[in-house]
Order: sequence, then structure tokens, then C-alpha cells
Amino acid sequence: MRVQLTMALRYLRGRKLRTALTTLAVVFGVAVLFGMNALLPTMLQAFRQTVLATMGKVDLVFTSVTDGPFPADRVEAVRRLEEIAEATGSLRRNVLLPPEVASRAGVNAVTLVGVEPEVAARLRHYPLKEGRFLNAGDGNAAVISKGLAEKLALAVGDRLTLPSATGTTDLEVVGILDVPSIPGVEEVYIPLPVAQRLLGIPGQINVIEAVVKPGVDRDEVKKAALAALGDLFKAEPPEMGEELIASLRMGEVAFALFGVMALAIGAFIILNTFRTVVVERRHDLGMLRAVGASRRAVVGLMLAESLLQGLLGTAAGLAAGYGLAWVLLLTVKSVMQHYLRMEAIAPIITLPNLLTATILGIVATLAGGLWPALSARRVTPLEALRPVVPGAYERAAKKRGIVGAVLVVLAALALVTGNFNLTALGSLLFLVGLVLVAPVLVSPLARLFGRLLALIFAREGRLAEGNLARQPNRAAVTASALMVGLAMVLALAGMVTSIFDGFMSYIDHSLRADFLLMPASLVLGGGNVGAGPELVEEVREVPGVLGATTLRLGTAAVNGLTIQVIGVDPRTYPQLSGLVFRYGDPEEAFAALGRERAMIVNGVFAAQRGVRVGDVLTLQTPAGEREYRVVGVGSDYLNAKLVTAYISHANLERDFYQTADLLVMVEAAEDADMAAVQARLEKIVQKYPSFVLTEWRSFREEQERVFGQSVSLFNVIGVMFALPSLLAMVNTLTINVMERTREIGVLRAVGSTRRQIRRMVLAESLLLGALGTAFGILAGLWLGYVLVQGMNVSGFVIPYYFPYTGILVAVAVGLLIGVGAAVVPARRAARLDVVAALRYE
Amino acid sequence: MALIRTENLTKIYGTGEAAVVALDHVNIAVEKGEFLAVMGPSGCGKSTLLHLVGGLDRPTEGRVLLDGRDLTSLRDDDLAALRRRRIGFIFQFYNLIPVLTALENAALPLLLDGVKPAEAHRRAAEWLTRLGMGDRLHHRPDQLSGGQQQRVAIARALVAEPDLILADEPTGNLDSRAGDEIAALLRRISSEWGRTILLVTHDSRVAAHADRILFMKDGRIIDETRLTGTGEEQAQALRERMEAL
Repeated sequence: MRVQLTMALRYLRGRKLRTALTTLAVVFGVAVLFGMNALLPTMLQAFRQTVLATMGKVDLVFTSVTDGPFPADRVEAVRRLEEIAEATGSLRRNVLLPPEVASRAGVNAVTLVGVEPEVAARLRHYPLKEGRFLNAGDGNAAVISKGLAEKLALAVGDRLTLPSATGTTDLEVVGILDVPSIPGVEEVYIPLPVAQRLLGIPGQINVIEAVVKPGVDRDEVKKAALAALGDLFKAEPPEMGEELIASLRMGEVAFALFGVMALAIGAFIILNTFRTVVVERRHDLGMLRAVGASRRAVVGLMLAESLLQGLLGTAAGLAAGYGLAWVLLLTVKSVMQHYLRMEAIAPIITLPNLLTATILGIVATLAGGLWPALSARRVTPLEALRPVVPGAYERAAKKRGIVGAVLVVLAALALVTGNFNLTALGSLLFLVGLVLVAPVLVSPLARLFGRLLALIFAREGRLAEGNLARQPNRAAVTASALMVGLAMVLALAGMVTSIFDGFMSYIDHSLRADFLLMPASLVLGGGNVGAGPELVEEVREVPGVLGATTLRLGTAAVNGLTIQVIGVDPRTYPQLSGLVFRYGDPEEAFAALGRERAMIVNGVFAAQRGVRVGDVLTLQTPAGEREYRVVGVGSDYLNAKLVTAYISHANLERDFYQTADLLVMVEAAEDADMAAVQARLEKIVQKYPSFVLTEWRSFREEQERVFGQSVSLFNVIGVMFALPSLLAMVNTLTINVMERTREIGVLRAVGSTRRQIRRMVLAESLLLGALGTAFGILAGLWLGYVLVQGMNVSGFVIPYYFPYTGILVAVAVGLLIGVGAAVVPARRAARLDVVAALRYE
Repeated sequence: MALIRTENLTKIYGTGEAAVVALDHVNIAVEKGEFLAVMGPSGCGKSTLLHLVGGLDRPTEGRVLLDGRDLTSLRDDDLAALRRRRIGFIFQFYNLIPVLTALENAALPLLLDGVKPAEAHRRAAEWLTRLGMGDRLHHRPDQLSGGQQQRVAIARALVAEPDLILADEPTGNLDSRAGDEIAALLRRISSEWGRTILLVTHDSRVAAHADRILFMKDGRIIDETRLTGTGEEQAQALRERMEAL
């Protein structure tokens, strides 16, 4: 074993650049895997600590299953229980601050908490920095956190103005709390009745908090309390900020996936490099066999080499990952301190994370090296002594080609079925099939592209083409590396184009009114304060306004799944806006909304619950269980990602007690003076700070701009995926040149100029580039289509758009790589000493 | 008793009309301690004979017996072990591993056989010193001349103390001075260290050092001669013989 390790080490050292480049592929994957998993738990932990500090002694928290409000007297049901020491109801909602305040203070929203002052003080500890806590008799009084007071420059006695259902409400700050409040949320405590009035839901609360008597089993009490409350309620662990934790968890999963994917690409690069290494070292391997190395010893040598590379890459990856975590932590530090008030923290290295990253890194490298190592078994001692018999290679290539062709046909059939799982499987089959078929396709494709190339490289092109056709396997391996890289680029481009175009068409469909009065956050949920009916009435009276329609919001539950219920006006909504329908007739569907308990569900809803037009679903609403008939499946722009049902305003009021308008769409007459209309609307909106007036065109432009940014980000990521392909190409070309040293010597001897040799290598590289690009575009289009279909299956319906720009990018990248990869090998070939080259074995 | 015996050894490359008969029912025997040279024009099948005897390739027909044991029936791993322990190869192009030093290259068969590195290196150093390479132990092949590389290859062939040395045009890549030195070395290996040598060459000056010479043409042994004289006259006689072929 030791001699294998020695040799492996020497071989790796002998080719420092290649070793470094190949190792880099592993480093990248391990770094992402390890770094991200060191960072996110740190944030989670810091977050939990802050949360726990503020929870006080509350044992149980109850909310409605819909997370919506419910009558305040429900708290009595809990209070009556023997085992309960204390219970209180509160109303907790996020309220957006007016934009000018928000931008000045660096806080977007505050959490308004309406509490029963005396009871609340008994349940929780509110350490005061200044002033006093709320009293039973308080009117518009507020107690705010220290952080918020600093940001808004408020002291005891100052006034805090918040948007409310009736416009705005002024509150007097009576106390400032000396606690680190819930991260990311600035709490404002006010008396419950004031909160109900401010939010426009008198007599309602949405949280019940309770403390159990000492020595009582908490789970038993929880069951008893839930029984008393009825099945519309659920108990929550007294941990808040679950959403943030959930998204951090999501982040963990996403980054883990990304890291694994990067490692998979790394394994492919290793595979490619080692395949070329085996070819390049055929002579040495044969010699080893001749002096008595067993097959196992030869496999051992190759595996030892990939193991060393894996160890090297993993070690570097771990270090880089730790560095990455620190850099990211420093980058987000100011944000965290500012918004979440989490203190400086260090990345946490856990043993499982360390082990996972290490094992995956090494396993990926070994896996990549395994196939080439096994193929090294087949090198016979005679190969050290005489040139390869090309026949054997061709036969093997043909066999693999047939298998590949079968896979490609199967993949095509899978695509035709339209079944998503089959299509996804098909894309994989297609990639593998292409890799296998590639060697067979090399010759005809080389001839095809060769003819084009001949226009520029009259003589050298012909030679280059011949060189490729002579070693179709090698050419195919190189082209495959490029193919995988470009397929990634194009698949990403395809998906991004589709999302981009898809969203734009959603905007054009469902937000086409001339003016929009909407929440600054562009999300309907999240506890935005709506407006009473006065707002839309005022808007309708503005001269030049043809009509206006509004959206309202409630929450319901279907079989335990919380859904968002959007109230629309069945008459005016389709005129001014509308949904992109997938099933059902729009006209009939909207008519049904006005007639009965009917709902239109969006794509995500339909997909997740398998809902069809005509189904009748039982919704758990604040008013109890109600049956709604599904009359259509359609989506709009803002809610495409959330499980959403659209019902009429009337039903929303009856079953959800919601009458506040959250979004107002305004249509102006064709001949109206738009500037004048806008000015009037602007004036109205000033009284409603939670709303922002947006003109449609500028809104669309803004969205287009935002999307454009993420598109270019994706392009950068895509190009990064293509970089490893460049390394693979440089590798193979260099080996090609080395192998043909004597031949190049002959060419030089019979009178080729250095320039011609350079051009020959360049032509060969360009040909390879063209091949890889052709394969890559095919595979990438397919993958992209599958990705988009995958999103459609999850209900997030976007049509597939053909990525024209993506193809241009892929072609450009492919050709650039073709030229770039040739630089070093071409120079090497041109500089060969003719005499030495002729003597080369 | 013959160390090596071949029985109707035949090798055919390709099939059908493209079939090429490289060896055609060859029967030879090499006695223990004998230095046998096989001469013939290129393409006569002499290298193929060497490969089959060394277990590098398998015959289409016939058998190779080493000490009475049939090589053609051995499994690949057993053949590899045989090559490590009982056969030493010397090639035209030296075939050293470029990343290993002279010492490591020479020790390779022992290392592959599981001999402890210290012991393997000691024995390799001994042989290298005997062959006049004692001051080049830690040089890599690319730092050595052709003749020096071939000496390392010879040390590698001898390090495992094999009975049989197979040499395939060992001087084909060397200038005449280095060639003469290597040829003299082969003679020493036979007479001083008692190894059996099967040499394949078309260089009559090298073949002139052998005890016996076989002449091959078109895959068959067509003639045989035992050498008695020395040096230049023998070489001259052989040259004339070759030209006659």
C-alpha cells in the first residue's frame, strides 16, 4: 500500500496545477456544506436564546387553527379550568410603519400587542427602564421596547403615531421596557380595547396565554384546555418567531442541497480528470503490470490518488468553509445587530457537521475516481510495450452508444407522457444517455462543425477534425464535461426566463389597474392594517376614476392546512384585474362567488390538496365550519406562492368577520388626466400611512428591474457552474497535445510553422467546444423544461418560455471556453523542440 | 532440465482475412543458466514470443512451461505474482516510472510484493551499486542518461532474484557505446550471477554475447547456432547470417 501512496503523491505533485484545479472542485462543495451548516445553527441558537429570555413564565399558548382572531370571551373557557393559575387574552398583529418613518428608523413594522394590563403583568415580567407599565384605566397609552424608543427617538410622554383602520391613531408612550425584545420584531404594548379599535376588530383577540398551577402535568392541562376551547383551536409551544426559525431551517436544507450538488459536479470533474489520467498513464500502468503488479494493486494506486485528492480537497474545503462562515457572519453582523439585536457570535462546529462534510467530501472524490480506477484494471502489460489496438475501444464505444441511444429514446418517451416524475427521471436518463452516445456522435458532428471551421482554418481544421475522430472517446469525455456545465447554465437560464416572463404575465393579468393602493410590503398577509370602507369610497369619487375594487384578507384551515382567504368583489374585480385561470370558466366562476359559498383556489392550493373544480371543501372559519364549492383554479401575482382561496367580500364578512380593505385597485377613464388623478389619490393616501400609491407602469418597471437583478445573479451563478468545464477542457487538450508530441514533431519536420500548430490545437479546441455546446444546449433545454414543470407541479404555475438569451449565453460561454482552453496547450505544442519531439516515445 | 519450454506456441492477431499469424507452432527450450538470443527481422514474431513466455499475453494455441508449470492456465493474479518473483523484464524503452527515483524504481517488484520498504530499498541499492549506479540512487529517470536508465531497469529486473531475465531489444534505444556496456552487463548476469536469459534483438553485436542463438522468420524458428568464438568475428558472422534472412 505504501508504494501506491508514494506514487500517488508523486504523481499529484508532478502536476501541481491540475491537482490544484481538480481539488478545487471538491473544495467548493465541502466549503458550502460545512460553512453554511456552521453558520445557520449559530444563528438559530442565538435567536432561541433571545426568544427564551423574553418568554417569562407562560406555559401554554393557544391560537385558533386559522391563526385568525376570535371572540375575547373564549379566554374564560381556559380560565375556568382548575389546573390553570392564570390566563389572559391578547391581540397581536404586525403593523407597518409609514414609509417615511420606516426608512428613517430602519424598522419596517412593529408588533402591536393589545393586553389586559393587570393580568398580563402577572403572567410576564416587564422590566421597565423608564416610566410605568399599562394600567387598567389607560386610554391611548403605549409601552415600547428600549430598542424601538432609540430608533424612533421617543421618550416617556412622547407621541407614537400608528396607521389604523380609521386612518391613524396617536398613542402616548408611558413606559419603556428594558428587555431585548423578540428579535426582528419591535413590540408596542397597548390596552386590549385600544388595540381592537385600532385594528378594526372590536371584541376579538388572537392569542390566549396561560400559566398552569405548580405540580400539574402540562400536557394534561393542554388537552383539557383544548377540549374546553373546541376544535377550532390549537396549542402552540411557547416559542415565538417560529417562522424565522422555519426559514432558517429551510436555508439549512437549501444550502445542504446546494453543497451536495456542488460536490456531485466535483465528483464528475474528478471522474473526467481521472479518466484522462488513466489514458495518459496507460504506459506506466502497463509497465507496473509487467513487473508484477496485480490488478488490485493498479486499482489501489488510482484510488490512493483520488483518496489523497479527496483528503486534500476536504481539508481545504473545511478551512475555506469556516472562513466562509466567518465572512458571511461579519457581513450579516450589522444587520443582525440592527434588526434582530443578536450579539456577535462565532460559527459553531458540531461533530456531526464536521463528519458529514468530511465524509461526503471524501466519498464524492472516491466515487468520482472509482470508475476510472476500475477501468485501469483493464490496462494490460502489453499496453506499455505497444500502441493501443483501436478496434477494442471502438467496439466498447459502440456498445455504450447503443445503451445511450436507448436511454435517450426512453427519456423522449417519458417526456411525451407529460407525467412529471417520468419527465424528471427522463432528464437524468437523457444526460446519462448523451454522455454514452457522445463518442459515437463525435465523428459525424466533428465533420459537420469541421466544415464550418474549414472556412477559417483551411488546412488546420481538417487535421483537428481528424484528431478528434481518431480518439472519439477522449473527445467525448471532454465534450461531456462542457456539456454538463453548459446544461446547468442553460437549465438555470430556462427556469429564470420562465419565472421572469411568467411573473410579468401575471402582473399584466392580475395587477393591470392604472393605480394601486397597496401595502408597502407588497404582501397581503403579515398583519397589515387595512382600511375601512371610507378609503375606497373616497377613491371612487375622484374625478376621472372609472372604478375601483379592493382585496380583503382572512385565514381559514382545511384539514389542518392553514390557507389564506382573499376577499374580492365578484363584480368589479374581474373588470379591473382578474386571475390567470387554469381550470374553470372565469365568468361563471366569478358569478358563482357572488351567488353562493363558492371559492376560486389558486394553483398551489389545487396542487397541494389535489383539489378540482366542483369539489366541496369544508373550511374552518372563525365562524365555524363552512362548506365552500370550488368553482375555478386561478392565480394572481401577489399570492402565487401562498395557498390561497378567493371568495366574495360578502362571504368574507359573514364567515371571517373581515371588512378591512388591504389593497385598492383603481382604473382611470381613458380620457382622464392621469397626473391630476394621481395627485388626488396621493392626497387621500396620505391619511392612510399603511398604504402606498403606485402607478401601474412604474410598478411594473420596478418589478422588472428587481427581477432583472436576480436574473443577472443567476447568470453569474450559471457561469460559475461552467468554470469547472474549462478546467476539464484544458486538461484533456493538454494531454492530447502531449500524446501527439511525436506527431507534432513530424508536422514541424515536414514544414508546418509554429503558427499552424497553434491554429491546429485551437481548431481542435473550438471543435470540442462546439460539440460540448451542442450537447449542452440539448441537455440544458430539457433540464430547464423539467425544472419549470417541477414548479408547475407544486402549483406555482408558470408557462415554459424558451430561453433565447440563455442559448446565446451558452454558445458564447462554450466558444470562449473553446478558445480559452486552447491557450496553454497550443503554446506548448508550438514550442516543442522538433528533434526532441521526434525522439519522444 | 529446461527452465522454459514452449509447446506449439501460436499467436494469431485479428480474425478472418485480417488475421496475422505472429507465432506459428514454436517449440523452444531454454536450459537453466543459459543465455539464449532470438534474432530475426522486425515483425518476425520474436517480441511476441517474449511476451508469451513472460506471461504478458496469452497464446492462441500451445503452452508455455516454466519449471514444468503451465503458464497459460494461470490466473491473472498468479501471473502477476510470477512476474514479480520469478521473471525480470528489460525493455527497449527502459519503462521506468517517471515519478519514482532510481532506487524506488529498482525496488518496485519487491515493494509490490509486500517486502518492507527498508529491506526493499537495501536490496535495490545493492544491485544498483553492483551495476555502477551507486552514486545515482536518488535521481529520477529524467535526470539519467539512456544507458543509466537501462541499468536501473536491469537492477529492477534482478532485484527479486528471479530465475529468468527476459530482455526485449535492450540496446535498441542506446548509442553503440552504451549498447556495448549493456550487452556486457547481460553477459555478466549470466556468467557471474547465473541467471537464465532470453534475449530478443536484431543487433548482432549484442546477440554475440549469447551462448546460443535462434533465428526467426515469419513466426517460425528457422535456424539455430551455438557460439564458441568471441567478440567481433562472431558478431560479423551473425550479421552475415541475418542479412541472408
